Amino acid sequence: MNMVNKKSKIKTSTGSKIFDVFNTLFMLAFAFVMIYPFWNQLVISLNEGSDTVRGGLSFWPRMFTLGNYAYIFQRSNIVRGALISVLRALVGTASCILCTGLLAYVTTIQHFAGRRFMRLIYVITMYFGGGLIPTYLLYTQLGLTETFTVYWLPGLFSAYYMILLASFMSGIPDSLAESARLDGATELKIYFRVILPLCKPVIAAIAVMLAVTHWNSWFDIMLYNSSGNWDTLQVYLRKILLESEQAAKLLNDQKQYEAMRNLTTTSIRAAATMIVTIPIVCVYPFFQKYFVGGMTIGAVKG
Amino acid sequence: MKNEKKTKSKKAGLMKSFRTQKQIWLICAIALVWVIVFCYVPMLGNVIAFFDYVPGKNILDCEFIGLKHWKDFFALPDMWRVFRNTLVISGLNMTVGFVAPIIFALLLNEIHQTVFKKVIQTISYLPYFISWVVVASILMTLLGTEGNINGILQSLGLIDKPISFLNEKNMFWGILTSANIWKDLGWSAIIYISAIAGVDQELYQAGSVDGLGRFGKVWHITLPGIAPTIILLFIMNIGNILNAGFEQQLLIGTPLTKEVYENIDTYVYRYGVQIGRYSFATAIGLMKSAIGFGLVIMANKISGKVADMRLF
Repeated sequence: MNMVNKKSKIKTSTGSKIFDVFNTLFMLAFAFVMIYPFWNQLVISLNEGSDTVRGGLSFWPRMFTLGNYAYIFQRSNIVRGALISVLRALVGTASCILCTGLLAYVTTIQHFAGRRFMRLIYVITMYFGGGLIPTYLLYTQLGLTETFTVYWLPGLFSAYYMILLASFMSGIPDSLAESARLDGATELKIYFRVILPLCKPVIAAIAVMLAVTHWNSWFDIMLYNSSGNWDTLQVYLRKILLESEQAAKLLNDQKQYEAMRNLTTTSIRAAATMIVTIPIVCVYPFFQKYFVGGMTIGAVKG
Repeated sequence: MKNEKKTKSKKAGLMKSFRTQKQIWLICAIALVWVIVFCYVPMLGNVIAFFDYVPGKNILDCEFIGLKHWKDFFALPDMWRVFRNTLVISGLNMTVGFVAPIIFALLLNEIHQTVFKKVIQTISYLPYFISWVVVASILMTLLGTEGNINGILQSLGLIDKPISFLNEKNMFWGILTSANIWKDLGWSAIIYISAIAGVDQELYQAGSVDGLGRFGKVWHITLPGIAPTIILLFIMNIGNILNAGFEQQLLIGTPLTKEVYENIDTYVYRYGVQIGRYSFATAIGLMKSAIGFGLVIMANKISGKVADMRLF
């Protein structure tokens, strides 16, 4: 392999070299396109709103301020929203992994008669769904609307993650569980003591995916918790987006008034966007090896 | 005789298993109740598509109207627009949005500095983990009348007045497709990158011996090597042809662009949840699922015949 690389390096033609240069430039431009929108939001969120309106703000804040963030944190609801976001991500992730993991384990117990049936009944749900309206009506009838329960209970089991976990568990030698069984361990004990610790890599991958999904979701909140008692950060951001639509109309009529004020919807929106984004940006470089692994497992088995 | 014995022992085994494997059966019971309530009941709930359902009333007391909701839908002038938007948006996603990650993966594979490659790849899937709410906020800022895109275009003298891009009907599909690609490209590329890594290295050596250049190797070795992956993912996409997404449309769509963004999913949402025509919206959603399912079966058959590849 090394030999070949060296050889081909010697043989590189000028065309190939030009391609390398352009390819590197392309990748740099690509990285810029991926990152700049976030950077732009960060700059706007740290700049005085009245100054941002003048335009031309690109790489660095002109009039530095933390006022936009201060304004957001003064809205008492936002702290509560952040707590609910975190709580939802924690409860939703933990409960799904625990329950789906148990289900996956049950489908891998060789001497259990119902394992094929359980697997089948869940796999079917991957191909046939209930649809938006029947689900909506069901949750309303079950009294799940306007509760925190609606964030985790409907996601307690997942057919897709069951398959992922089961395929990983079936790679664990049967003899481990079997010897624990001979020692008189109950199935739950075997699951928690023997199987779960061995599944750490795949669980980490699934946990990251679940936590991000919970953190990012807003549509189900809009559907089922429309009263606003259980609003998360995403929903607050969306409300600010909607506000700014109306504010933009106002802005056209009374441009001067708006410009006089230090806060504008654009800068507040930018600050809210950063508050929602920063936790993910901080976490994801550390977890990327897990979810990339999870993605490839899913691709092979799915 | 033998069979009888077998079924008998099977039955006895099941009874014994109920006794000895209490915990397992308990877990199964919970999982069964959950799956019935949260998956199978909504599936059955689709029957309201055939009734004139009134909330709070028993479904059996509601009037059975058969296919009336579909007849109504196809008589609406909205219907063609909704279908057109769905097909155009998902068509763009399935073509431009499908090819982009493949090209990106191939280009990234030609980068030889490992660290640079790794950094670029890490950056590439950052937007995937960001919610559509955030993306919508970013788009509003960048494309707004005070945004940087307008700033650049104005300073280049290409436009005199700032354009409110998100309110422009003609640009909506382009903006939406670009946003979809921006968000998903890096993530979709992961699977191609791992497929490329799986191509037999000896083939490249053989290619060098046969005098293949760098581009020849990509064309004759890498691409055929990842072709099965490409075909498989394309088949999976065909089943999704009516899923044009709805989060993005609901977030960045404005009343001015409704004519071009309203698709089946947003239509179901609007009629079902917002207006409260539950039966009508369910009927449209059910039709969408049925068509999607039919398409998956068809694509699976075709690819089984043409490329000898099947999903199931």
